[in-house]
Amino acid sequence: MKMKSPTALIPGLYLTLFFAYLFGPLIIMVITAFNSSTFPRVSPWECFTTDWFGKLASDDKLLSGLGNSLLIGVGVVCVAIPIGLAAAITLSQVGPKLRAALYTIFIAPILVPGVVIGLSTLIFWDRIGTLFNAPYESFFYDGTFLTIFGQVTFIAAYSMLVFLSRIQRFDTTLTEAALDMGATPTQAFVKVLLPFMAPAIGSATVLAFLASLENYNTTVFTIVSSSTFTTVLSSKVRYGLDPSISAVAVIIIAITLIGAIIYECRNRYYTKGWAHVIAERPALKIATHPGTVAVILGALTLAAVLFIQNHDSSVCTAQVLEEKRALQQQLMEQQSINTPQQAVPAPTMPNLGPLGGDEGGGSAPSPFGNNIFSPENLGTSAPEGN
Amino acid sequence: MRDLFYDLVRRNGMAVSIYLMLAVSLWVFILIILPQLTMLDYSFRFNLPPAKIGGPEDVYTLEQYRYFFQGSGASDGLNTLDIGILFKTLLAAVFVTVFDLIICYPVAFVLAKSSTGAKARLLVLALIVPYWINEILRAFAFRILFGATGVINETGMGLGLWDTPIDFIRQDVALYAGLAYAYILLMIFPLYNAIESLDRNQIEAARDMGANWWQVHAKVVIPYAKPGIASGMTMVFMLTSGALAAPQILGGPSNLWFTQLVYQWFNSGGNWPRGSAYAMVLLIVCIALVLLVMRLFKVSIGEIKQ
Repeated sequence: MKMKSPTALIPGLYLTLFFAYLFGPLIIMVITAFNSSTFPRVSPWECFTTDWFGKLASDDKLLSGLGNSLLIGVGVVCVAIPIGLAAAITLSQVGPKLRAALYTIFIAPILVPGVVIGLSTLIFWDRIGTLFNAPYESFFYDGTFLTIFGQVTFIAAYSMLVFLSRIQRFDTTLTEAALDMGATPTQAFVKVLLPFMAPAIGSATVLAFLASLENYNTTVFTIVSSSTFTTVLSSKVRYGLDPSISAVAVIIIAITLIGAIIYECRNRYYTKGWAHVIAERPALKIATHPGTVAVILGALTLAAVLFIQNHDSSVCTAQVLEEKRALQQQLMEQQSINTPQQAVPAPTMPNLGPLGGDEGGGSAPSPFGNNIFSPENLGTSAPEGN
Repeated sequence: MRDLFYDLVRRNGMAVSIYLMLAVSLWVFILIILPQLTMLDYSFRFNLPPAKIGGPEDVYTLEQYRYFFQGSGASDGLNTLDIGILFKTLLAAVFVTVFDLIICYPVAFVLAKSSTGAKARLLVLALIVPYWINEILRAFAFRILFGATGVINETGMGLGLWDTPIDFIRQDVALYAGLAYAYILLMIFPLYNAIESLDRNQIEAARDMGANWWQVHAKVVIPYAKPGIASGMTMVFMLTSGALAAPQILGGPSNLWFTQLVYQWFNSGGNWPRGSAYAMVLLIVCIALVLLVMRLFKVSIGEIKQ
């Protein structure tokens, strides 16, 4: 066996580091969702808890934002997919000069900052509304409609790119054959080109929906007084860091992973090599079917949900609180003894550090408490220093 | 235009052609061009209460742009604050773009040239998965990571590298790391697509003729992948300079991103024309910068794709 030379290990090492950068922050965030500390952090670890998920379920703002987001997502898909398809077909049929010009216009919304798209959409419809003397309740001023328009502007371009890469592989002689055999051009379009584009329509729909769901820069302007999942999330993050945001992340990451796993299993299942392997092994065939995988993952999710609902960490959190209280008591006693010296109490009290650190929101319990013993963690007003 | 329509009808039939023309013109005019023009128009107006819009006072003015350059003072002093923010934003965006290029190029190269089949597909999937996590949540993750009690500070202090928490937020380290993270995918894929289509034999040939690894990249791979590099850099640069979520969440309290100025004029400032003018400034400066760099590296915008 030949030993690999050390230089051959560099790419692997580099990839490992790279994926650590990619996944590290997400993993840390997931861990913080299960720590009972009221500030999202990994250490000190207080108690394993699932309470943050419960807090989410009762967050009406977030849920109504999610409802709006789903509605907007569906609206965006309904408008952006036909536009993207039409744009890709048009590009494939016009001459090279016009194609270059059109392509530049079509691609522009991807490059233009989302902020600019949001602003211009808002102003444009506001102007049109004023022009028609439309009442304030009309759709010209409605956040949902404006957001759909704003998002379609660039999401149509994403879907166009998906369609374009598919249509480049389209064999135009197929359409010609259909025409020769007496199909009308419309029939040729519906029966030949559209079915060929079907897979791309599927992936463009998923892409458009997800892009709509996670958009912030445009939405924050066009949503006006309404809200979406992302804008609610953003105001939550800006006005106070809270582990329930990590809990949102856990849910989204779980959904993404499940989707990715099923997608990958589907791809593997339909490869030629695997078809040979399972041809004579029905058990394996069933076990690796993407449907089976989906059922297993669904069962796991259900189990996780049940676990989250039933897990009770109150004993542990009460204990931690008690410990803190005892320590607090001890500190105070120590202080009253040391009063004349007026020193920083006990070595367990960390220095105050840069106060600007985590202050982001008012509810962040303690910018300087990197240990559980800081008085702020009690949630009660405790005497400060001296 | 008429010829174009007849050509479309001949190929697709009447109904489909009408759909194509309608959908494309709706997109181009109603969603792209007219809103931009309205915003441009708006940026040349005074900030008037709704009742006065269209009245005698509603005339064109350069006031909003003047404000960007000179500030509120009537004197000829420069608005160093806002201009400084613009420069800082652009500089930071360039930095983030270059950083992304440097860390993504090796990954794209390894993916495109060394991995095959299932392994490559799995790696690509691993790249995409973090991208589907909401932008806000990704920024939040960096906030946790870099906070005063975050993992980085805890680890650093635990190892004795430093003894008071370093304020990564105020120093904008968290912001740059978060921004670079947010747009990694937009750098990797154009690079990957460009490098993947390079014939492996070209690399072999260069090696046979005595090129070392550095020369292979500098003389063969990078020139070949130039369009991919250009589109990746353009995309990351435009999105970074136009980012709003990450600066709002990760930006230090005293450091503003230029988009935050636009946001302020629109929301708390209540001055839409000025917000529009600022947005136009951002758009024009960014586009000019991208076109300039493309001219320098001799790539055309038509080569940009995902």
